[in-house]
Amino acid sequence: MYYFYLIESLGGRAGFGIAQDIKERNKQYCSHAGGIVKMQVYSGLRAHAKALERTIKTQYVDNIWIIEEWKTEWLNDNIPMSELKEYVDSLIAERHFRLKLIVPNYDFTQGNIEEGKLNESS
Amino acid sequence: MSFSFTYEEVIRKPNPMAKINPLKRGTGKTVSLQDRIDKLEQAAVWKKAMKAWQIENKKVDIKRMPKVAMVKLGQIEIDEDIQRQLDEKHCANKIADVQLFDPALLQTLQCIKTSKGKYKSVDGQHTASTVAGLISAGYFEGVTDWREFEFPVQYIETDNLAFARRAFSILNGKGKKKQSAYQQLRNAVFIVRIDKDKTDDEDVELEKKVAVAESHNCFPVEADSDLAKYPGTFTNIATFKTLNESELEVACGWHNKYFHYESAHVSLFFIYRDLCRQFDSAKLKLTPKLQEELAALVQNLFGNLSQFQESVTEAHRRWTVKRYGYQANWDDDAYACALIQLYQHFGGKEKVAPTLLDHFDGLIEFFDEDILNLA
Repeated sequence: MYYFYLIESLGGRAGFGIAQDIKERNKQYCSHAGGIVKMQVYSGLRAHAKALERTIKTQYVDNIWIIEEWKTEWLNDNIPMSELKEYVDSLIAERHFRLKLIVPNYDFTQGNIEEGKLNESS
Repeated sequence: MSFSFTYEEVIRKPNPMAKINPLKRGTGKTVSLQDRIDKLEQAAVWKKAMKAWQIENKKVDIKRMPKVAMVKLGQIEIDEDIQRQLDEKHCANKIADVQLFDPALLQTLQCIKTSKGKYKSVDGQHTASTVAGLISAGYFEGVTDWREFEFPVQYIETDNLAFARRAFSILNGKGKKKQSAYQQLRNAVFIVRIDKDKTDDEDVELEKKVAVAESHNCFPVEADSDLAKYPGTFTNIATFKTLNESELEVACGWHNKYFHYESAHVSLFFIYRDLCRQFDSAKLKLTPKLQEELAALVQNLFGNLSQFQESVTEAHRRWTVKRYGYQANWDDDAYACALIQLYQHFGGKEKVAPTLLDHFDGLIEFFDEDILNLA
């Protein structure tokens, strides 16, 4: 199982990425951000998660947040999370990516997604 | 066991490339040098370079600028330690090709002029030798002695052979911006489309290939072009050129029918070149059913060809390590073989070229389990 996620920074910037260990990835974000950061998590085939990620990078090429020529996996200030979510959901539906939204508001304190039963969000 | 996958239609949206394809026609635009200077002066990279000039306080000595003169070919010397050995084939088959030779396309010779008044060739010995040879053979009207024939020479005055050596290296590639494969393709296409000149078979053939691709909404673009984000675009011109028109017809047709929403991944050309040739040898047809099932397989297992490439590259790496004990170099033939082997693994019943099953035998066992378990 592989994961594609959408993430909103504490400052409100929209981002995205893929991970095999989603709990660990969320932990890293939280550790760097100094606070709990929520993710919208999709799961499915690794190839499809990567295909979706690459499509976003290509289509949002003019709106990727770039710092000193370093392309991040965050979008520019003017792209709200709602727009990115809508885009991702329509891509999954239109292009038949084998990915499903499994947790709309995940953070690592809720436990392992793989185990199915998540704790209440802290 | 029936075939495991069905292709699911993806709604076709208007492709901006249909209108903005740069190869459709030239811009017809001519700009002044001032326009280019304005662009240059706005570029961060230029500003950085100018800062370096300021720090170095460097000024250009215009006396060192090259001069141009008409020099008798008999006065030209070739320093064999600077220039390469004469490539007779290059002179005979490229420069003196009877169909292509045009004196208007001859380029100036690059020389140094020593304090003793000798012209030493830095670049252009093949041009000079070919011209002299043609005169010697009597093919320059009204010219009998090549030694007395004056040819344009660009030179600088120096006795410094190190400079000449460096100049040769720069003039022959190092430090020179080479024409990209796309620029060469664009030139060929524009010669045919804009200049209506069909005298060069290679240009005509290339234009036809591009036309086939365009007819299926596939568009060659420059590597790193802003246009590469649009569906149907591709940047690997070298591989595209290896397919003939009928192979491109099938490859681009498949892309346009099933993956019209994606850029055309380079593996498309490798896959279809091999499928067409191997099926042709086996006297088999690439049936519409097979093509649709291959599209279904790619769509369901990988999402697109780009991810297929990533998966097959990893499977090939594992396969070579297991088989040979080391990681062998990637082999482009593996694309088509893997695709056809996966097709059979997932219950494909259409006839396939057996050569594609034998080559890279067992490769698909090295794909990720989550992929293989979808059967």
